[in-house]
Amino acid sequence: MDLVSKKWIFNVLLSMCFIGAACTSVEKKIYVHLNNTVPCVRLLNATHQIGCQSSLSGDVGVLHVLESEENLDFVLRTGLHPPYMVILEHRLFTRSIMMKLNNGSSRVAGVAVVAPDANPAEGFSPHNTCPNENTGVYSETYDPALAHCSTTVWNPLGNGLSYEEFDFPIFSLKDDNKTRFIRQCYFDHNRMVNGSSPQYPLCAMQLFSHMSAVTNTATCMRRNDLNLGITPEYVCDPLGDFNVWATTRPLNNTAKGHKMSESVVIAATRLDSRSFFFNIAPGAQSAASGFVTLLAAAHALRNITQEAPPNRTILYAFFQGETFDYIGSSRMVYDMENGQFLVDLDNIHSVLEVGQVGMRANSRLWLHSDPVSRRNGSIDEEVKTLVENIRSAVMTLNVSASEPNVSQPLPPSSFQRFLRSRPIPGVVIADHESSFSNRFYESMYDNAEYMRVSYPQNMTQEEQLQFVTDTAKALTEVATVLARALYKQAGGDQSQLSGINADPQIVTQMLYSFLIQSNNSWLQQIVPSDLAGHLKNTATNFYVGVMLQSSEPTHLVQHLLANLTGNVVNVTQQDCQNQRMEESDTVSKHTYTYTWVQGAVPPNATEREGYCVRSTVHLSKAVSPAFDLREFTSTDYSTWTESRWKTIKGRIFLVASHELEMVTLGVGVGVLLTSLLLTYVISSKADILFSSQREPTNATY
Amino acid sequence: MNLERVPNEEKLGLCRKYYLGGFAFLPFLWLVNVVWFFREAFVKPAYTEQLQIKTYVKRSALGLLLWVAVLTTWITIYQHYRAQWGEVGDYISFTIPLGIP
Repeated sequence: MDLVSKKWIFNVLLSMCFIGAACTSVEKKIYVHLNNTVPCVRLLNATHQIGCQSSLSGDVGVLHVLESEENLDFVLRTGLHPPYMVILEHRLFTRSIMMKLNNGSSRVAGVAVVAPDANPAEGFSPHNTCPNENTGVYSETYDPALAHCSTTVWNPLGNGLSYEEFDFPIFSLKDDNKTRFIRQCYFDHNRMVNGSSPQYPLCAMQLFSHMSAVTNTATCMRRNDLNLGITPEYVCDPLGDFNVWATTRPLNNTAKGHKMSESVVIAATRLDSRSFFFNIAPGAQSAASGFVTLLAAAHALRNITQEAPPNRTILYAFFQGETFDYIGSSRMVYDMENGQFLVDLDNIHSVLEVGQVGMRANSRLWLHSDPVSRRNGSIDEEVKTLVENIRSAVMTLNVSASEPNVSQPLPPSSFQRFLRSRPIPGVVIADHESSFSNRFYESMYDNAEYMRVSYPQNMTQEEQLQFVTDTAKALTEVATVLARALYKQAGGDQSQLSGINADPQIVTQMLYSFLIQSNNSWLQQIVPSDLAGHLKNTATNFYVGVMLQSSEPTHLVQHLLANLTGNVVNVTQQDCQNQRMEESDTVSKHTYTYTWVQGAVPPNATEREGYCVRSTVHLSKAVSPAFDLREFTSTDYSTWTESRWKTIKGRIFLVASHELEMVTLGVGVGVLLTSLLLTYVISSKADILFSSQREPTNATY
Repeated sequence: MNLERVPNEEKLGLCRKYYLGGFAFLPFLWLVNVVWFFREAFVKPAYTEQLQIKTYVKRSALGLLLWVAVLTTWITIYQHYRAQWGEVGDYISFTIPLGIP
């Protein structure tokens, strides 16, 4: 090989290096990637699919910032460059606009909704007007007059968008630098100037949110089972997580089923919420207000139930997945019916459920009960006693409690699942007489701002954690009422009631932890070290999610409940983690749960001093029985599944006109063909062309 | 293998083997047979074995056509109706596309 050819090869290699290195920067020059994007994903039930999806390779459309509803005409009819990627202010994210876009979906490539920094003034709920309509107790067979919210529409603001199916991707964008950049890109390239349509290149956006599952739960579960390939490809997973429960009296949890001479008062609430978009579910009023109240009440009852135990046991139950057709409560009732839970339905004395209690008008609480089961005289008596107990708990406090003036069904509540099984006396406490006082039910605005959990300016995180907000004070009152009512209902002594008081400090800390950030000094102390890494600097996401990933609030509530109702015991870390008091102790694990928590850093020390908490807190599966029974078309139980996906991302770039793209492609193909032809001609005429430099024929290679 | 260098008897043997092999649900053997021996059967000047080779090539072509017709019909029906068949459609599929019915 001579020197010249060596030089050539070197040059080629060098230029290839450059091309390789330049690839990433070319990609960067073309695309601007969007962070902070939250997609709407596909969920499926027995009969439907809901949510959104893009095509496998992402949907591309020319950006159009929608200014008003009249402006839709441009997107759906007159615009010259369809399909369009529509950017919406949140005030335009209404049912009428979204359904028009969905109907004209051949001209719509996708929608990006810009979430505002502050909540809108008017209400907004993408949920149904009648939540969990078909899986509550009020069916045609129970009482036709009460079925389908015919007497009270619980969520009148609900526009049902969360339960629609869209043919295009819908993303939520935060109002930040990137969003401003998108707008700028639109104004620079896509806006009509003096009524004339804009010239290429145009600003475009591509959204990827391709969903694997399709049609309904039966189809996707079948396809999960039919995996023949080398790498199994699952398409959907059931929604579900764990219920958290604890009892005031230690009961043997290993012996399931009926407990002789045990009478249980269930104090129930829900742990989950949702919104239109996948991982934003702040659920402040719809979930947190209720379970924070119940946690505070459980804390208020800790000492009294140990010192002067009432003759009935109180069972605190925090249900997961209630938003999706009562996953948690239906599972607990199913387990009770089948002798798979601590107690069975015969052991239940009554149920007291805490609904949404964060928005009381005039400090009023409303006590909802079921008119159908109250037609039975004995049940009616029991409900009256329960209402009376709550009223007696209210006496000395600045709270009033009354029953709704009209005969109406129960609001959407876990208690309905118990009633579905048999008539049980019970009351649901809420802050609304008829329809919800929550104007942002199951939406992204049901947050700390809406609950008025706000702090004076210039406060450090630590000061905010300790600061008692007005909301916390109000919830403390409710928690005190609840605790006293529960104590009375469990057969406790009236004279003890005034000594039962919830702690506003604990309530405010819990509100801070769930609505502002869970990563704070208080929660760090009371969780085990493996959970400490999962504490977040943002509000808790209350979406129940799939079984494989644990939902955020479950473990937080589990350890909070353990800390608030359990006792610190003097046990070594090893014994604690082995669920025993000492090495010879083999029985207490049947009744108690031992948790080694991180503890605080003592003064003049660098390491945390952990300790052992003994409590009766347990987790139980919150997966719909439909999946255990493999009845994917069940009408009794929740059948919700979440589709799997591979990529969720968004990016913007400039697109050239179709003609230019075609010309470029044509030239490319032309060059290829010409070079092929040239090569053929040259090689066929090589003898003539290169005759003067022909090498000797006897050369060996 | 270059057919030019093979004696005529061997050509016939090869052609027969491919023709018979095609009956074992191997239509591609017939396709190869047709393409490979087309020249030998129809273009080359006549020789003793050519008549038989011609028959084999013709029959191979016929079988191939039959296969093509059957497969095309089935694939069209399958692709068109798989989603409507629902459960059955899934059970008779080896790979199921993601995200479409």
